[in-house]
Amino acid sequence: MAPKTAEQTALFATMVARKQGWALNPDADFTQSLVEGLTTNWNRYGYFLCPCRDSDGSAEADADVVCPCAPSWKDVEERGHCYCALYLAPGFAAAGKEPQSIPDRRHQIPRRKA
Amino acid sequence: MIDTLTYTSVPGPRGEREVTVYALSTCGFCKRALAFLEAKGIAYRYVYMDQIPLEHKNEAKRELKERFKVDIAFPFAVVDGSEHLVGFIEADWVRSLGL
Repeated sequence: MAPKTAEQTALFATMVARKQGWALNPDADFTQSLVEGLTTNWNRYGYFLCPCRDSDGSAEADADVVCPCAPSWKDVEERGHCYCALYLAPGFAAAGKEPQSIPDRRHQIPRRKA
Repeated sequence: MIDTLTYTSVPGPRGEREVTVYALSTCGFCKRALAFLEAKGIAYRYVYMDQIPLEHKNEAKRELKERFKVDIAFPFAVVDGSEHLVGFIEADWVRSLGL
């Protein structure tokens, strides 16, 4: 797996946000740290493991928490941002609200088939 | 296992509470939590759980889950060996640390 740069990861995140109709977190420093975390995880595991979750040791086990993670859609819709707060609901971002840690609903929804 | 992990100690003028943070080096909220402790001058120690062997991490998580009866997510802080905080919600940390 070819290593990625933070610039490539930032482009990936931008494309995800655009496709899903989400906003990237406007806190540039926070977003940059997440982009760097995603880049680290790509170069460490070979996939974009959510930067705020730890690996269970395999791509199969981590499949539901590869960015954008399976709970993202519901978290953005109901809580205004995804688990790591890289992606925000447009209304949440426009209101200038500050994301905070949210409960991980990972284990509350069915796992995606690997 | 959690007693044998290698922690990094960060000194601070406020050392009356014993604060340990289990964090991920890649996580934005973990970075925020550690920066919060530093800004408040609180002495603490931390370990990046993504930088230790998988079997050590899994065993440490199992011990923490057993002790505190919660699913482990990051940052996970232990205060005075008995209180715990999951995630970084500043108001919760302020309250638990008596700030």
